[in-house]
Amino acid sequence: MRKQTLSLAALVAGAALALTACGGVQNTAGGGSDSGDYPTGAVNMPVGASAGGSSDLISRQISRGLSDELGGSFPVINREGANGALAAAEVAKAKADGSTISVQNASLFAITPLAVPEDQVTDIADFDVVQGVSRDDYVLVASKGSGFTSIDDFANADGKVTYGTTGVGTGAQLACALTFNVNDTPAEAIPFDGGAPALTALLGNQVDTACLQVGEAIENINSGKIVPITVFGPERVGFLPDVPTAQEQGLDVEVAQYRFMTVPKGTPQDVQDAIAEAMQATFETDEYQAFNEQNNLTPMEIPGDEVVAQLEEDKQRYADLVDEYGIDLGDAS
Amino acid sequence: MDWNAFLDGFGVVTQPSNLLYCFIGVVIGMLIGVLPGLGPAATMAILLPIAYNADDPVSAIIMLAGIYYGAQYGGTITSVLLRIPGEASSVVTVFDGFALAKQGKAGTALGIAAIGSFVGATISIVGLTLLGPVVAGYALDFGPPEYAALALLGVLLVATVGNGNTVKALVAAAVGLLLATVGSDSFTSADRFTFGSLNLEGGIDFVVVAMGLFGVGEILYNLEERHGKPHVPAAIANIWPSRKDLREAGPAIGRGSLIGFFLGVLPGGGAVMASLAAYAAEKRIAKKPERFGRGAIEGVAGPESANNAAATSSFIPLLTIGIPANASMAMLYAALLVVGVTPGPQLIDERPDLFWGVINSMYIGNLILLLLSIPLVGIFVKILRIRPAILAPITALITILGVYTINNSVFDIFVMIIFGIIGYLMKKTGFEPGPLVLAFVLGSLIESSFRRSMLLFDGDATGFVTRPISGTILAFVVLVIAMPLIRKAFRRDTPEPTSAETEPAPREDSLR
Repeated sequence: MRKQTLSLAALVAGAALALTACGGVQNTAGGGSDSGDYPTGAVNMPVGASAGGSSDLISRQISRGLSDELGGSFPVINREGANGALAAAEVAKAKADGSTISVQNASLFAITPLAVPEDQVTDIADFDVVQGVSRDDYVLVASKGSGFTSIDDFANADGKVTYGTTGVGTGAQLACALTFNVNDTPAEAIPFDGGAPALTALLGNQVDTACLQVGEAIENINSGKIVPITVFGPERVGFLPDVPTAQEQGLDVEVAQYRFMTVPKGTPQDVQDAIAEAMQATFETDEYQAFNEQNNLTPMEIPGDEVVAQLEEDKQRYADLVDEYGIDLGDAS
Repeated sequence: MDWNAFLDGFGVVTQPSNLLYCFIGVVIGMLIGVLPGLGPAATMAILLPIAYNADDPVSAIIMLAGIYYGAQYGGTITSVLLRIPGEASSVVTVFDGFALAKQGKAGTALGIAAIGSFVGATISIVGLTLLGPVVAGYALDFGPPEYAALALLGVLLVATVGNGNTVKALVAAAVGLLLATVGSDSFTSADRFTFGSLNLEGGIDFVVVAMGLFGVGEILYNLEERHGKPHVPAAIANIWPSRKDLREAGPAIGRGSLIGFFLGVLPGGGAVMASLAAYAAEKRIAKKPERFGRGAIEGVAGPESANNAAATSSFIPLLTIGIPANASMAMLYAALLVVGVTPGPQLIDERPDLFWGVINSMYIGNLILLLLSIPLVGIFVKILRIRPAILAPITALITILGVYTINNSVFDIFVMIIFGIIGYLMKKTGFEPGPLVLAFVLGSLIESSFRRSMLLFDGDATGFVTRPISGTILAFVVLVIAMPLIRKAFRRDTPEPTSAETEPAPREDSLR
C-alpha cells in the first residue's frame, strides 16, 4: 500500500515537472534563429510587479513571443518593490549584453519622481529603450451612491469629494489629483494598495470616486455598478467609446501609463535590433492582439527613441502641472 | 439559484479530462505548499500558458484553482513538522501543531488538520454555492474603518496566543508592530527605517520574518540543545487520530469553518484574521485553556479549518464582483482573461458552465486532497525520525530556498538569517515569536486602514463609532478589554489567584 502511494506521488510529481517544463519556460533549442547568435543563453526578464498584475502579464506575453521568434528561454522574474525601482536597478546594473532585458512602466520615470526623495529616482538615461509596447489608459469612475455622472456634477458636491487611488506616485493618483485641482473641486485622496482594493471601496460606496486602469474597471462599468466620468488619454479609448476625454470636457489633463522594452545602457545595437524585430513580429500574431484586446491595452508599438522623447515630454509636463497647481503627491518630494 | 446549471456543472467536472486536470492541479498545489516561499501565485504564473493550449479552457481554470486550494493543505505539513509556517494564515497552526509533533503526535496533528481542512473547505463551498452573491455584498460594506476595527481586535487577540507571560507577549507584539512600519510610507512615500536601502523600501516580507523567527530560530536552538544534553528522539506513534481526538476536534472544526467562511470573504487579511479568531475562540471556550500552546488538538483543528474555509470563500469576490482578493486570485483573474472571460457580475449568466464547473470542481478536488493526505501523513511523519544532524541542514536549505523564491532576492536571505538569530535569542529568554509575527502582519493593516479612515472622515474620529459595523466591532473590543476587570471586581473578596510570575505556570489570561 505504502509503496503504491509513493509511486503514485512520484508519478504525479513527474507529471507536474513535465507540465512545468513544457508550459512555463520554453527552452527549445531550435526556433527561427534568423537574427544572428542572440540569444546565447537564458535571458532574464525582471518585472517590478507581483505575478498577476498587468505589468507581469505583459512581460509574460512578450516573453512568449520572444521565445517563439528567437528561440531560447526568456524567464520572467518577479522583482516586486518600490514601484518597480528595484527591478529597474537590477537591469541598470546588469551586463549590457542582452542577457537581462525588462519591460518597464512610464510612471516609474515620469510620475514616481514627483513623489519620492531625490536619491530614489530612476533615470531613463541608465537604459536603452528598444521598443514601445502598449498603453494602459486611466479612467475616473464614480460610485453609484455618489450620484456623480459627469465632471460638472462635482460643482454640486457638498463637502470634499473623496477619490481612491492605486497608491502614491502612480498615474492614477496624478490623474485624479490633476482633475480635481484643475476643476477647482475640493477633494481628498485616499491611497489604496493597488487597483483591486480601490475598486472594492468604490463598489461599496466607501469613496465617491476613484482613478483606475481601464482593464480593472471595465467589467463593473459595463454591468452598471460604477459610472465612468472621464478618460485621460489623448483620444477616447476604444474599449469605452462613449466616455469623453478630460480634454473634451475642457480640462487640460492628459495622463497615460505605457510600457516599453528596456536593456542596460550600452547593449550592442545588433542585440537591440534583434529584440525589436522579434517584438514587432510578436505584435503581428493573433494571439498577442487577442491578449491586448482582453486586457484593454491600446498598442503603442513605436520605436525606442520616440518612447524616450515622449517620456521626457510627459515628465516635464507633469512636473509643470504639479507645480502650477501646487499638488503634493508625496510629502517626501 | 439555477439548480440545472449547478447540476450541469457536475457534468462538466466529471468528464475524465477535467478530473485529471483537477487531480494534477491539487497535487501540484500540495507539493508547492510543502515548500515554503514558492507560493501558489508564482506557480500559477508559470503554468498560465496551459490555459492557452488546453483543449477546453474550463479544464485549465479547474487546474489553476486546484493549485490554490491544494497549497493550503501542503502548508500545514511544514508548520507542524518543521515549525516553518509558509504563510500568515498558518502561523497559529505552529503553536500546537509543533508541540504535538514534539510529543510524537505529529500524525494526529496532520490527520486532524487534513480532516479539518476538508470539512472547512467543503462547508465554505456549500456557502459559496448558496450564498455567494449575498456574502459578496456584505464584504463591500467593509470599508477602511471596519478593517481598522477588525485589525485592532486582531491585535488584542494576539495577546491570547502565547502560553508564557503576558507582558513578554505584549512586548513581542509591540516589536512586531514596529517592524511593520519599515519601508516607504504608502501614504506619503516618506522613508521609514530603511537606512537608505532600496531593498527595505517595500517593507519586510512576512514569510522572511516568520521563517527566520520560527524555522531558523528553532534550528539554532536545537543545535545548542543537542550539545548541551543528549537528544531524546520523540516516539512517533499514533499515525491516525483516535476517536477521542476526533471528538475533541469536531466542534472546533465546525466553529473554525464558519469563522473562516465569513472572514475569508474580506480581501486583504481575511484569512489571517480567520485563523487567529478561530484559535482565540477555541482557547476561550476550552475548559483548560492552559493546554493551548502545549499540544491542544483544538488549536490545530480550529485554525486549519478556518484558513481553508477562508481560502475557498476568497473565490467569492472574484467570481461575483470581479475583484481578486489576493495574488493567487489575481492570477486566476488573468487566466480567465486568457480564455476569453472577464470575471465579474455577469460571469454566472454568461458562462454558467465555467462558473459551476470551477465551483463544483472544488468539491471533488478537496475530496481528492483528503484521500491523498491521509496516506501521505504516514510518510511525512517519518521525517521526524531523521537525525537532527541531517534534518537541520535540510530545513535550513528549504527555508533559504523558500525565502529566495518569494522575491528572487538574496537580500531577503540575510534578513531571514538575522531574524533567525533574533528568534533564537527570544527562545532563550522566554519570548515567543507568535505574537511578534501576528502583530507584524496586522500592523500594516491597522495603520493603513486607520489613516484611510481618518482621511475619509476628514479627521473626525467619531465616525468609527457611528458606523454600524465598525461600532459593533469596537464595542466587542471594549468588552474583551473590560471583561477581566469586571470579573476581578466581582471576585474581590475571594483570595487572589497564585502569582503568574513563575515561568511555566499557566499565565493569567488578561483577556478572559
